[in-house]
Amino acid sequence: MDILQSLLYGFSVAATPMNLAYMAFGSVLGTVLGMLPGLGPSTGVALFLPLTYAMRPETALITMCAIYYGAMFGGSRSSILLNIPGDGAAVASCFDGYPMAQKGQAEAALAMSAIASFIGGLLSSVAFVALAVPMARFALRFGPPEYFTLMVFALAATAAISKEALLKGMISLLIGLMITTVGIDLQSGVQRFTFGLPELQSGIDFVVVIIGVYGIGEVFKNFETIKAKGAQAIQRKFGRIWISMEQWKRSWLPILRQTPVGFLIGILPGAGGTIAAMMAYNNEKQLSKHPEEFGKGAVEGLAAPEAANNACSIGAMIPMMTLGVPGSGTTAVMLGALLILGLQPGPLLFQHHPDVAWGVIASLFLANVVCAIINIPLAGALVRVLSVPPRILYPLVIVLALLGVYTINYSVMEFHILVLFGLVGYFMKSFKIPTAPLILAVVVGQSMEQSFRQSLMLSDGALSIFVRSPICITLLVLAALSVAWPFISDMIKRKEPPKPAHAPAAPEE
Amino acid sequence: MRRDTIVGLVSLCFGAVYTIQAFQLPKAAIGNPWAPIYFPATLGVLTMLLGLAVLLVDRKRAAAGHRDKAGKAKDPGYWILTGGTILLSFAYGFLFEHIGFIPSTLLFLGGLLFLVNGKSAWKLNGIITVLFTLGLWVVFVKAFQINLP
Repeated sequence: MDILQSLLYGFSVAATPMNLAYMAFGSVLGTVLGMLPGLGPSTGVALFLPLTYAMRPETALITMCAIYYGAMFGGSRSSILLNIPGDGAAVASCFDGYPMAQKGQAEAALAMSAIASFIGGLLSSVAFVALAVPMARFALRFGPPEYFTLMVFALAATAAISKEALLKGMISLLIGLMITTVGIDLQSGVQRFTFGLPELQSGIDFVVVIIGVYGIGEVFKNFETIKAKGAQAIQRKFGRIWISMEQWKRSWLPILRQTPVGFLIGILPGAGGTIAAMMAYNNEKQLSKHPEEFGKGAVEGLAAPEAANNACSIGAMIPMMTLGVPGSGTTAVMLGALLILGLQPGPLLFQHHPDVAWGVIASLFLANVVCAIINIPLAGALVRVLSVPPRILYPLVIVLALLGVYTINYSVMEFHILVLFGLVGYFMKSFKIPTAPLILAVVVGQSMEQSFRQSLMLSDGALSIFVRSPICITLLVLAALSVAWPFISDMIKRKEPPKPAHAPAAPEE
Repeated sequence: MRRDTIVGLVSLCFGAVYTIQAFQLPKAAIGNPWAPIYFPATLGVLTMLLGLAVLLVDRKRAAAGHRDKAGKAKDPGYWILTGGTILLSFAYGFLFEHIGFIPSTLLFLGGLLFLVNGKSAWKLNGIITVLFTLGLWVVFVKAFQINLP
């Protein structure tokens, strides 16, 4: 009953005209950014971050959630119409979405992706409501050692997302933590790595790092192939954007089956929308009576990953809101926004700022409806954005990024730091070093070090404090398992008998 | 040189420099004097070890005949766009506080569009530059009350 009352209170916060207007704006912006290849939800939320300084905390977070959510809806538009995923999570939507469009079913594909996203998002929002309070209550038991080990787990899981990139992911993570050591040490007052520059005494703002690595780095990377990326020829005229009864009959069960899969993957740190969508696609292919139709325009092959990736985006917000630890690059940016606005995400957020916590949760339901409205009837108009050539788009992104970071400290020094981190992001992408661990580390690094040192103060310097409580031990075991998992799964795969030659191969990520 | 060889070498060198710098940090006047050094020193040492591990794994892969996957073909002269953007950004930083937001952004965005979109589209570049600059000014200064020079 308490939860229902809190949720109703959340609706009263989220449904004010101002918040609804920002939600609609965020949903449109997110849908457009999600559509544009190279500009995903992380870049969108990061570029928007400086504008939130003038907003109320709940409005800022509601708008950012709407951008995140809109990007999840929008990512599949370019997958369906151009066979180019708008972001990683929309990769699986290319497999059957594009063949559907080629068969003259673009309207049904656009509608199905929005319907599946809507249902996946709605069911996950209900699950979020059910899980948020118990999880926040549980997190109240956390002290500095538990928080330190929790951050170790979140960072390890993000860095160890694949066996190939494990070592490079760890290096990315360490560089992120190193960035957080720049500036005056909060506990001792010692200046670290400031090189005599007064601008570095307050440290390097994580917003600059995020916008540099995601925004500018992405633009620099895209400059390598920009001549080949002219204006795309896309379908401009559409019939009624809706699905047939037969398509619905084929899709409702895959949507319901893959929503929990996406949601659970979202809760896990590190495993993002791409993994959720790919897993959902492969699951449905294995369960289908007609696996041979997958990849040739099977509507359930589009519906399942779309439901899963939206469910995943909601799941990813649970650790951010209830534990104060982000599980993905985008939620790391959102956590950073909360910190800038003077709020400490975590279990106490529900007690001290119920308007923010419940307002955001209620906004997930509303944003879901807003995104569905934008992405079904207005899909034909919105997809025209895809015809904007990147040669025009990227200079605008650079100006937005520079102006955004200027507003942090009103100093042009941020311009230079931003360009520097743009180059760091560019080289990381060029050398296939994952950037998400760096971003997560930059956001949680300072509190991680503080938790580490507070723990050591509590134990008189004994490291055994990190293995004294069952929560710490569990989290450390999970961290070790997440690092070892790519190797374990590899061993399991090698032990499995080889598949017969006619078995359909799983699409590669 | 192989991609991971470069990553390993850079990590090893960067980790070494960072560790040396960490040990040269001033000690805390109150409490444990080494407290501000532990965390960065640990990070530096771990970076060196991981750099070394990347090098070893890469040597092993090279010995087994693994090659770097070829990436997408890059446009000839793509680096002019990157280098030009960096130079223009530094110039923008210099002009921004001296001549103000609107004139400096007109010059910067105009320059960027000419660089990236080409001189032949000068009309379009000009229109976008003026409209976008003024649009940003309205959003930041009027709508969000953010002061710009």
